[in-house]
Amino acid sequence: MVEPLFTFPGLITGRTIGFLLVILIFVLAIYYMGQAKSPYIRRVPALDAIEDAVGRSTEMGKPVVCSFGCGGFEYWTIAGLSILGYVAKLCAETDTRLIVPTGGSSDSYIVREAAVDLVRNAYTVAGKSENFSEEDMPFLSGEQYAYTPGYVGILVRERPGTTIMTGSHWSEAMNIAEMSNAVGSITITAGCYTSNMAALACASDYVMLGEEQPAAGAYLSRDPSQLASIRVQDIYKFIAIGLMILGLIAINIGSDFIKRLISS
Amino acid sequence: MATFFKSRSVQLSILGLFFLIVFVPYFINIPQLEWLTTKLMIIAAVTNAFTIAIAVYSQWKRSGRFIREKRRGWAYHIYLLLLMAFMVFNGIVLGQDSTGYQWLLQAVVTPLSSVIYGILAFYMASAGARAFRARSPHAALLLIAGFVVLLYQAPLTGAFFPGFEPAADYLTKTFGMSVSRMFSISVCIGAIVLGVRMLTGKEVAFLGFGEE
Repeated sequence: MVEPLFTFPGLITGRTIGFLLVILIFVLAIYYMGQAKSPYIRRVPALDAIEDAVGRSTEMGKPVVCSFGCGGFEYWTIAGLSILGYVAKLCAETDTRLIVPTGGSSDSYIVREAAVDLVRNAYTVAGKSENFSEEDMPFLSGEQYAYTPGYVGILVRERPGTTIMTGSHWSEAMNIAEMSNAVGSITITAGCYTSNMAALACASDYVMLGEEQPAAGAYLSRDPSQLASIRVQDIYKFIAIGLMILGLIAINIGSDFIKRLISS
Repeated sequence: MATFFKSRSVQLSILGLFFLIVFVPYFINIPQLEWLTTKLMIIAAVTNAFTIAIAVYSQWKRSGRFIREKRRGWAYHIYLLLLMAFMVFNGIVLGQDSTGYQWLLQAVVTPLSSVIYGILAFYMASAGARAFRARSPHAALLLIAGFVVLLYQAPLTGAFFPGFEPAADYLTKTFGMSVSRMFSISVCIGAIVLGVRMLTGKEVAFLGFGEE
């Protein structure tokens, strides 16, 4: 156990620096989101490919399959829902059939209801509410390994032009991504943990890495204030890298200052 | 009333309030709020349990429509509904310890799940065979690293080629570990910024609202 460098009365010991960093991230994000000018954001190939892939499906007359993961309401799922909203909008505008397999865990029931509302809303906003069909959002199962063959079955029967798999997909992601590849579909995926991401990088045409998925909603909206929030992520990444380098130097010269600071 | 609770501003206000209830006690020592956080977690779990009933109902409705209209695969939906009814009856009426429920779980659900998990190995192998081709120096390096770590995981390699262990250990504990931690850090930062966007009403997809 590392001795904290300082403690604050009222704050829980060991969480002071964490508290300050979270407050700072809030302040920075709100400040940058209030700025009018659009910041430079590096391209994210997997997100840029979504529009092309949906266009390809439209031209081929094939459906688009898009899922938001198996998890409950967590940040991966929320990011996945943002992407689903964007894909639903594109599909509604281009009269492309969208299939959204749902389920996969006992926490997924509640997310499904939000997803149905989201897709229905996208069709309504595009003025194509008659094209929305809840049957294209089947609830496959609350069991992960019953959901998997259900999903794979949809891919084999419907032969989609594009498969977009976001949110928290776990070990079933490989089965789905490989089958998507086998049926000739463009496969865009997002991994939610390191080993899964590495496997998906092998199986998919495009894969979202690390924080690219949580940033997807902001990136796809093209809204300057939302794009600005991505800049805050980059600033914080530099802070993290800086702290790591300082910590490395400090440890090598025999000082545990950085370690104690972070443990405060 | 339903319209009131479905409005974006009300939902965002509730989100902001509940965020504070969960966020503040994590950092600041307020025992009363800790109690409230625990209660909130229980309410969330109970709400989630209720949605299972909605899912069963929506599945029943969907399958019923398939059967009535004799659509492709309608016979499978009869099978699904029968199994669902059987499982619900065994689980609720006879209890989760009943022989019928346990048999369904141990003799049907678990083996089938294991099969699906098992075939993952073949999918991994086919994806690996496609991706691990030494087309460039980078890809060759990845291939060699992958080969070393893969062989290290095989039980017989350790017995015949002890040299693999330190190499694989080095690759896993240096490059593998650093990438994993970088991934965790970047995802954490991304998640916090996503939280800010949600609280400021910029990200509303999770509430079922799209772009308007």
